[in-house]
Parts: sequence; C-alpha cells; structure tokens
Amino acid sequence: MACELEHGPPGVFECQLCSLTAPYSYIGQKPPDTESVILLEESYIMKDPFTANKDRFLVLGSRCSLCSRLVCVGPECSLFYSKRFCLPCVQENIDAFPREIQQDLEKRKVPAKKPVNKPRP
Amino acid sequence: MPPPRTRDSRHHDRDHRDRSHRAAREEEEEARERWDWNRPETRRLFEEAFFREEDSIRQSSEERHKFWAFFERLQRFQNIKASRKEEEEEKGPGLAKPPIPALADLPRTYDPRYRINLSVLGPDVWGSRGSDRPDRRLPPDKVAEFRKALLHFLDFGQKQAFGRLAKLQRERAALPIAQYGHRILQTLREHQVVVVAGDTGCGKSTQVPQYLLAAGFSHVACTQPRRIACISLAKRVSFESLSQYGSRVGYQIRFESTRSAATKIVFLTVGLLLRQIQREPGLPQYQVLIVDEVHERHLHNDFLLGVLRRLLPARPDLKVILMSATINISLFSSYFSGAPVVQVPGRLFPITVVYQPQEAESLAAASKSEKLDPRPFLRVLEAIDHKYPPEERGDLLVFLSGMAEIGAVLEAAQAYAAHTQRWVVLPLHSALSVADQDKVFDVAPPGVRKCILSTNIAETSVTIDGIRFVVDSGKVKEMSYDPQAKLQRLQEFWISQASAEQRKGRAGRTGPGVCFRLYAESDYDAFAPYPVPEIRRVALDALVLQMKSMSVGDPRTFPFIEPPPPASLETAILYLQDQGALDGSEALTPIGSLLAQLPVDVVIGKMLILGCVFRLAEPVLTVAAALSVQSPFTRSAQGSPECAAARRPLESDQGDPFTLFNVFNAWVQVKSERSSNSRKWCRRRGIEEHRLYEMANLRRQFKELLEDHGLLAGVQAATPRDSHSRLQQRRERQALYQLKRQHEEAGGRRRKVLRLQGEADGGSSDEDAEGTATREAGDSVDIQDVKFKLRHNLEQLQAAASSAQDLTRDQLSLLKLVLGRGLYPQLAIPDPFNSGRKDSDQIFHTQAKQGAVVHPTCVFANSPEVLHVQEPEARDKEGSRDDKDKMSSKHQLLTFVSLLETNKPYLVNCVRIPALQSLLLFSRSLDTNGDCSRLVADGWLQLQLVDSESAVRLLAAALRLRARWENALDRQLARQAWRRRDHRDEEEEEEVAESLAHCKDVVALSGELLQFMASKVSYSLRRLTGLETQNLYVGPQTITTAPSLPGLFGSSSLSPHPTKGGYIVTDFLTYNCLTSDSDLYSDCLRTFWTCPHCGLHMPFTPLERMAHENTCPEAPPDGPPGAEDATPEVPQKTSALQRPYHCEACGKDFIFTPTELLRHRRQHM
Repeated sequence: MACELEHGPPGVFECQLCSLTAPYSYIGQKPPDTESVILLEESYIMKDPFTANKDRFLVLGSRCSLCSRLVCVGPECSLFYSKRFCLPCVQENIDAFPREIQQDLEKRKVPAKKPVNKPRP
Repeated sequence: MPPPRTRDSRHHDRDHRDRSHRAAREEEEEARERWDWNRPETRRLFEEAFFREEDSIRQSSEERHKFWAFFERLQRFQNIKASRKEEEEEKGPGLAKPPIPALADLPRTYDPRYRINLSVLGPDVWGSRGSDRPDRRLPPDKVAEFRKALLHFLDFGQKQAFGRLAKLQRERAALPIAQYGHRILQTLREHQVVVVAGDTGCGKSTQVPQYLLAAGFSHVACTQPRRIACISLAKRVSFESLSQYGSRVGYQIRFESTRSAATKIVFLTVGLLLRQIQREPGLPQYQVLIVDEVHERHLHNDFLLGVLRRLLPARPDLKVILMSATINISLFSSYFSGAPVVQVPGRLFPITVVYQPQEAESLAAASKSEKLDPRPFLRVLEAIDHKYPPEERGDLLVFLSGMAEIGAVLEAAQAYAAHTQRWVVLPLHSALSVADQDKVFDVAPPGVRKCILSTNIAETSVTIDGIRFVVDSGKVKEMSYDPQAKLQRLQEFWISQASAEQRKGRAGRTGPGVCFRLYAESDYDAFAPYPVPEIRRVALDALVLQMKSMSVGDPRTFPFIEPPPPASLETAILYLQDQGALDGSEALTPIGSLLAQLPVDVVIGKMLILGCVFRLAEPVLTVAAALSVQSPFTRSAQGSPECAAARRPLESDQGDPFTLFNVFNAWVQVKSERSSNSRKWCRRRGIEEHRLYEMANLRRQFKELLEDHGLLAGVQAATPRDSHSRLQQRRERQALYQLKRQHEEAGGRRRKVLRLQGEADGGSSDEDAEGTATREAGDSVDIQDVKFKLRHNLEQLQAAASSAQDLTRDQLSLLKLVLGRGLYPQLAIPDPFNSGRKDSDQIFHTQAKQGAVVHPTCVFANSPEVLHVQEPEARDKEGSRDDKDKMSSKHQLLTFVSLLETNKPYLVNCVRIPALQSLLLFSRSLDTNGDCSRLVADGWLQLQLVDSESAVRLLAAALRLRARWENALDRQLARQAWRRRDHRDEEEEEEVAESLAHCKDVVALSGELLQFMASKVSYSLRRLTGLETQNLYVGPQTITTAPSLPGLFGSSSLSPHPTKGGYIVTDFLTYNCLTSDSDLYSDCLRTFWTCPHCGLHMPFTPLERMAHENTCPEAPPDGPPGAEDATPEVPQKTSALQRPYHCEACGKDFIFTPTELLRHRRQHM
C-alpha cells in the first residue's frame, strides 16, 4: 500500500500511562509563534486544535522528572509541582510532597467516575 | 468594589498638622483609585504592557473579555482563600525529609504557582523598550498581581483544551466500532472490497475515515447520499482528528468545496463522484473509496456500485469500503463476489415497544373525513404525562406520513399543549423554512417536553438528541413513478420493517426509550422487510442519459445490484429519443452529450441550450435555476392576504416561471440596493430566502457549465476603472471575509430555549413573521447575505436582473418559445367547459392524464380567465357555451414542468402558450387531411382551421422554421464542439466569419418565429376522444402513386406511410393520413391558384402548392411565408408553364415547367 509522508507533525505523542495519542509539532520550552510564554519543562506541544488562533499552543505532556516516562498532562497521569511527576512516582514518594498535593490526590481517588448509564453492548 | 471618588469631593482642611498625613493618605488612595482594576484605563495600560500587538488576547475582544472575567473571579476567590488561610497557617507541618535527592529541591512552602508549568514574560522582564512607555510606571505589586492572574488564566486554558482533547479520545475509544478498527484495516489490506455493517450510533461514518488516515492512507473519498451529511461529517471528522482548523479533511458538494491539495479525506455526494468518474473513468485521484449508507439504496448509489464492480479489475490498487446498516448485508457482499463483512454492533439503549393498533372507530373516522384522526396520537401524549414525572426529561418524536397529517396532529396537539403547559409542539418536514427546521434542536424549558411531528426526514437525515419516546404511525408517503403517464405520484404506504426499526431506534440514542407503534404486531410482521429501492420507483431519464455518456453499454444489460423495471428503462430511452438526446440507435446525440454534462433535468438542460441559441442566456439561466429548486413560496404565507398583495406586482400572467423570474430579479435588486433588508423583503412576501440563494448558486453553476462547454462566451469580470474603486471593492470584500470569520468563530447558531405556547407570541410551531424577526434580530449579521456577496459578483447579477426588466415583448415571447420547446411534450389542454366553471374547478387534460388541476400556488389558479377563449366573434358564431368547437385565433395550451399527484393530479409551474403555433413548431407527429385544414398533433389534439389556404401557408412556414431552427441548433452545437478544441489562427478567422453569419441567421430566425407566433388564424381546438384516436388514420393504401412534389422539404419523392396511410413529408409530418367522411381523394383534387410572388397560375393540390411556395424563386427572401434562400439569378417569364432555362452548372439549355426546373436545380445542390 502506498503511503504518503505526513506533512507537518514530526511525530505522534503517546502517553505511556493512558495511551492518549496526538500528533505533536514541537518539543521544547519555547513554543513557536508565541513570544511571551516560556515553559518550565521540555514539553511536547501541538497547535491548539480547538482554536483558529495560530499562536495558541497546547502542551500534551513531558517526561517524568523521576522515571523519565513520557506522560500526558492529564490529572490522571501526572502533576506538575515545579517539575513534572507521573502519578505512580508521586504515589511512591507521596510524603515528599506538600499537604495540599496529598489532599488533592486523596480527593481525586474518592469520586471515581461512575458510569451513568451502561449502554447495551 | 468601592465607587471611584472624585477629586471634587475633597475639601480643603485647615488643620496644618493633619495636612501632610492626610496628603500621604490621599496620595495612596489616589494611587489605589488610579490603579483600580475596574478602570478601563488601568486595564488598557496592562494589556498594552503584557500583550504584544499580535497576541490573540489583545486582538480579539472576546479573548480580552474572557481574561478579565477570569481575573475578577480569581480575585474574589483569593480574597476568600486569604482569610481562610490565616487561620490555618500555624498548623502547617512543612515537608517531610525527601527520600530521593531529585525531590530535594521541591519548594518547601506550597504555592499554587508551583503547579503551573509555564511562565509569563512581561514588561519588567523584557523592559528594554523605550522608557517613556507607560509600563515603566506600573506599580510592581500590581504587575505581580496581574502576572499571577495571567499565569492562572493561561494554565486554565491549557487544562481546558487538554480536557477536551482527552474527552474526545475517551469518547472515540468508547464507540462500539473502536474495537473493530484494527480488523477493518487488516481486512482491507487483504481484500479489495470490505463491507462494514453497523447500526446507527456505532460510529462507522466518523471513525472509519480516521482509521484510514491514521493508517497512512491519504487519498480517501467518502460518499454520502446527502449534501448536508457531507458538511456535517467533514466538520465532525476534522474536529475529532484535531484538524478542525487545517485542511486535511474537507468536503465537496455541488456549490461548495473545502478541498485543497492538503486534503486527505474528502466527503462528497454520490452524484459528484459519478461526475468525477464520468471525467476520469479510472478514478486515479483516489486510493480508498468509502461508500456510505449503501443500504439506503439510492438510485445513484446503486449505479455507483455497478460502476465500481466494473472498475475494480482495472484498478487493483483501489480499495473500497461499503458501509451499511445491518440490513441485507449479504446482498452487497455477494454482489462483490463474497466481499468480507465486518459487523459492528450498534449502541442502543433498550427500547420498549408498545403496540397500540388504532381502533376501528378511529379508522372509520379517518376514512370518512379523509383527514387523519389525531386522537391516537393525543392518547400517547396523555399516557406520557400520566406515567412519567415532568422532571424526567425526554422528548417525543412522532413519525407521520406527510405534511397534511402533520398539520392535523399539530392542531390537536397544540390545543392539548396549551391546556397542560407541558409540551412544545414542533413540525418538521422539508418544506419548512430552514429557521423553522432548526427549531427542533432547541431545548424545551424545564418540566416541558418537545413533541416533534416529523415526516420520515427524521428517520435518517435529521438526528435529534434527547428523544426518549417515539410514536410510529407506520405510514410513509413516497414518490412513485408511473412510466406510462410520466407522472410522479405521492402515495401513502406502509413502511418496511427496516424503517420501523430505524424509527424505533431513534428513542434509544441517549438512554432507554419507549416506542409506540400505532399498528398491530401482525401488521409489522406483514411489512416488507426493506423499503423499495429508489431505482424501482423513479423516472430513469437522467440515469440512462448518464449511463450513455459514461459509455457503460446498454442500460438494459447493465449489472445493477437489483435491476430496474424494464418498462421504466424503455420509457426513459424513448423519452430521451423524443427529446433528441438519443438517436434512433440509442446513441448519444451532440445535444444529448451536452445534456449529460448538465446536472439538471433533461427538460431544463434543453432550455439552457436553446436559450443560448437565441442570445437569451441570462434570462434563461435564471428561469432554469428557478425551476430546479423547490418553490420559494412558503406555505404559511398562502393564507395571508398581506403576503398575497405584496407578491402580486411580481406575478406574471404568462406563467409561473415568469413570476419566479420576476421574484429573483427583484430580489437581486433589493440586495444590491439595501442588502440587509432582503431578508425582510422576502418575509413580507412569504418567500423563503434560502431558495433564492440556492437559485443564485445554481444559476452560477449553470453559467459556468455553459461557458465550460463553449455555449456561452466567458465574460471577463469587469474590473473597475480606477484604482480608487478597486481599492474600495477590495476593502468591501475584506470586510465581508472578516464578518464570515467572526461568524464561524462564534460557532454559528446556538441552541435556544423554546417558549411555551401562550407566552408572548406562542409556541414556536406555527411561527409568524413577527416571531422570526425577533429571533433573528439577535444576530445582526446575515451570514447568508455575506456568503452570497462573497460568492457572487453582485454587480453582474444586478446587471442581468435590470436588463431583464428591459426585456422587450419580443424577447419575452422568444423566451416563452424556448420554455415551450424545452418543456414539450409536457402539455395540457384546458377543459372546454372551464369558462363556465368556478375558479377552483378549472380542469386540464394531458395526453395521459385527464382532469388535472393547476397547483394552488400557480398564477392561473387565481386568474384562470386568461386561459379562456374570449373573442367576441367566437361567441357570435355559435350559441355554444364551451370552447370545444369555438373558432378563435387565441386558443392556448398549458405547458408545465411536472405533473405531481397527491390527492389530485397537479400541474406544477405552468406557462400558457398559443396552441396552434406551438403545436406546429413542437409536435413530434403532425397529421393532416387532404387540404391540411384538419391537423392532429401527437395523436391527441385536433386543430380545425377555417380555411385550407392559411392552413397550408402556416404549415409550410412551420416546416421551414423548424428546419432552420434545427440548423441553428446544430451549428451552435458544432461551434460549441469547435470552441472546446485547440485551433489555428486561420481557423479562428473562419470562425469569426462563421459566427457573424450565424448571428445574422439567428436574428432573422428569431424575427420570423415571432411573426409566426403572432399569426392570426381562426381555428378550433379539442382533445380527441378515445374512440377517435382509434380510428384516426386511413391506414395503408393500395394506391401507391406518390404525388410528384419536387423540392418539397428536401425529399425528392414522398413515400407512403406504412401504418397511418398518407405520405411521409418529414419525420414528423404525415400528409393526408387522417380519415374523414369526404376528402379521401382530396390529395388528387386540384384547384386553380395564382402564386402571389411569381404570378404562376395553375391547378394545384394543397401539397403541390406548398411545394411551390417553398421553392418559388420570386418569393422575397426571409419573408414568411416566403422561400428558402432562393437564387433568383435567372430572369424568367412566368406567364407560361414552360420556359427556356439555361443551367449555369451544367451549361445546357432546357425548356422546363417550374417544377421540372426546381427538380433539375436540386441535382446541383
């Protein structure tokens, strides 16, 4: 089968925890087309797909500063506290984090998403 | 926030000791006031300092507004938090000792700021830009406050966008088809054709294209039966594949395309794909073809499948995915020699089916009044109110067979709704205005349910969320086609089981639902399993024409998935031959191949071509476009006298196409004068503006097609003369683009909350003009108007429209002639007793259908008198009240665009035309008696002329005009073919000369045609009875001596007609084949006659006389009933029958009678 080379995105980002995938267009701390923002971590970035503004970007994820796993920025997978930490690493070292973060994680565990109506298969 | 204090309120204090202290406080207060976040000036300064010129926040007012709203919320939130924090502060334990060195540098004290992974540069960081900038003076604490807010704002934006992305992926992964993506791709790698079968909601239409995209395919076409689906799917798929603002996913429909070089998936209509195949039979531009909704069995889809089946061996690299509901899957699979099927379960919530067959009394009531009994439907509404508490949301969708039924239930349901205040009742059918259709997507207020009364449009085309209850009447009105009468019939049928299931499924899209079937389970079991495919119930003219132009061979043997009825095919072929699109051997004629390129009815296509011949392209374009869209006149306005009065000046008593023509032109004028008011203008006249936009689009498309095919010289867009107006024009366009962008960003139409009936101006069901006005007042931009102006050159349109107002009487008559010839043989004759009947009882007869009536929207419905024969002489002659045998020169026929049978057979879009002249010019078959005073047109209309002399004269003129008209058409088509080829310079010159000659000919022909149409001859007109048509012809005769009629109509000898008797004069004219009491031998009877031109005096039969007249050398050229381009170079004495003649061609001298002479001359031609 003939496949044409994809233009634009240099690759596809995939979260190693939740396997969310999205094409990224840039890795680094200085998103292209924006001048006034600097990122505090090496991030995988795409153009914000939900707006026509060219200068709006979306950070997809980055590597965990402890285990270097590539994780998305979703709250189920990682958190940022001056550095990126994947949730498994946070759990492992929970005591090293301030109480606010600990409480945050506690809160997150309790209201596990309950399915409203289970569709018939 | 404290109200800003003004300086004036301060008053001087005498206390000196206090003064300095007070001054300091005041200064502080002043600063606080000055830097109050509520002051626009403060906000502006900070915006200028932090946002660069090109920043989205600075540019878009909406962004700015969002930011400041966020800012205010954040401040409030922090005030609350700050007070709470003070209490908690002491207990803070700090961080435990980090076990890993990497965690050692985590901030000791928590601050939400550390949780944000970005940092904002600001004036203090990049502050090297000129010191006079206001940001230098910004107080640092305020800068910090602002920066913090901005950080949180950006972080919030990130979280929001990422949340959407994650949600999107979750939803996609949760679709039933997500489990099958891999298998579909795998199967496609191994096979050329794959059938993907899955029920509504499984996600096949949106997901399969994305799987292909993700797998690296890049030339994917996905066909849809409906245009609207192309647009909405392209939107959805580009959104889901995160390229909403890119061009990887596009759509292509008749008037619009978002396709570009970067497009990898294109959604397009089946018709459009077929046209692409027509142009490039190998379809080289695609790698994968998805044919969606094959189970719906649309005409084009069925044909496409046949074309693909033939194409696949030639394109082994082309992959095809057929997508279908789980209906009759094996049919498709086996059609493509056992293509593998991937079956995907649908996602439906459980639906309870309740059978509620109508009781006998209700059925009896219905059959008595012919009106639907609404009571069974009301009972369901009551049952729902009874059983389900109003807090439990869920709307009701009722399937009815047609608009009349919707009307009947609407009335009753609204009365019920007004009483209970628990329902908002809305109709939904295709004749509603777009705005009214959109209302079904609005939401009902709390405690109130929507009740949507719909045709089967909601079965597949329109999907409404939130439906919990479905009522299925079990009926559908479908167009069926009667090939014998060439009549479309809208009839009520029981639906199929497949439709019943589809309707039921609409209740289970968002939760468990209930489906009430107003028929018995045994009825259901008796339903046909599937609906009748379209190919079995529509006219196949267009399909056959397309098949011919795609050279797919004999339509009779084409391997359709299910063959059409042979009778329909035969009718279509015959019809196309009648229309001149196919020749005797069923091959495409030049005009036929042109017609095949035009995506319109054959009739309309013909009109366009004929219009070009007579230099009437502009008006004909408008008329053709107008006749190709739904009527723009709204139903609701029909009862309104204001609307009728406002419309009246636009009405034309010539016929509906002329009224539409006037409406369109007037609308264009309104648009070019005071654009924003066109919406109001339309509303006041009960016109659905959307249809006029469609007309404009279609008109443009027709024009481009005619230009592409060389029928119309392409006109360069007139460029404004000076640079100023050019600039002006560019500015205007830019402003329009800006408006369009803004509209698109705002996301178009938002859902509104419906009003209950009785509040203000009632429920939104039977909305009057007022209601629409208030609804639309909100969005001040008329996006349709903006798009219209971007798409069309209004100046050009306006020029065409205003020149239309100056159309001369002659041009108008020519236009009518063009319409008449285009629409032929769709003719109806007024009933002879019409003049004694009420307006509403006027009836008309077509050849195949008696007792048709004009459509109520038709101009002749209100003023039928213009069709009556009202000549005083006619009344004097006989005492008879009817028009049956009335002698008059003003008999008229109606020519119509379509015949549609609902409760009555209706003639739609009628034009009145003079009977005798039209029949002489258009009839496929004209039969005469011996002296030509009696004529029968197409075997069903008889014309009896007062005297045979004028009869012969008219007939001769008609023959000549028809020949010349054909000739002009042929030349136009030849030129068209020539223009499309490449050519050399000398040819160019020839072409110019030829073009000039052609032009002159056409002008002369037009003049003669008009004169012919205006000719006054008294005659009677009537429809032959069945018995008369059976005994119409004398039949084959034993006497076979053909009259010697040299030079007549181009054939040197006349042959007897094998079945009718008489003689074949041309392919349409048969002389003396009509039976009659007296004149069986009249062809042999000669009477003395003197030629008015050459003075020749001798006994002639009518036919001989015609022959002479046609070839009389003395006749003035081009003067009817004169001769063809005669060559009068031979001076002749004409007092004797014989005279000497020197032939220049053969150089010999003869003594000839005039007829001999003509015969001789013909040898040299």
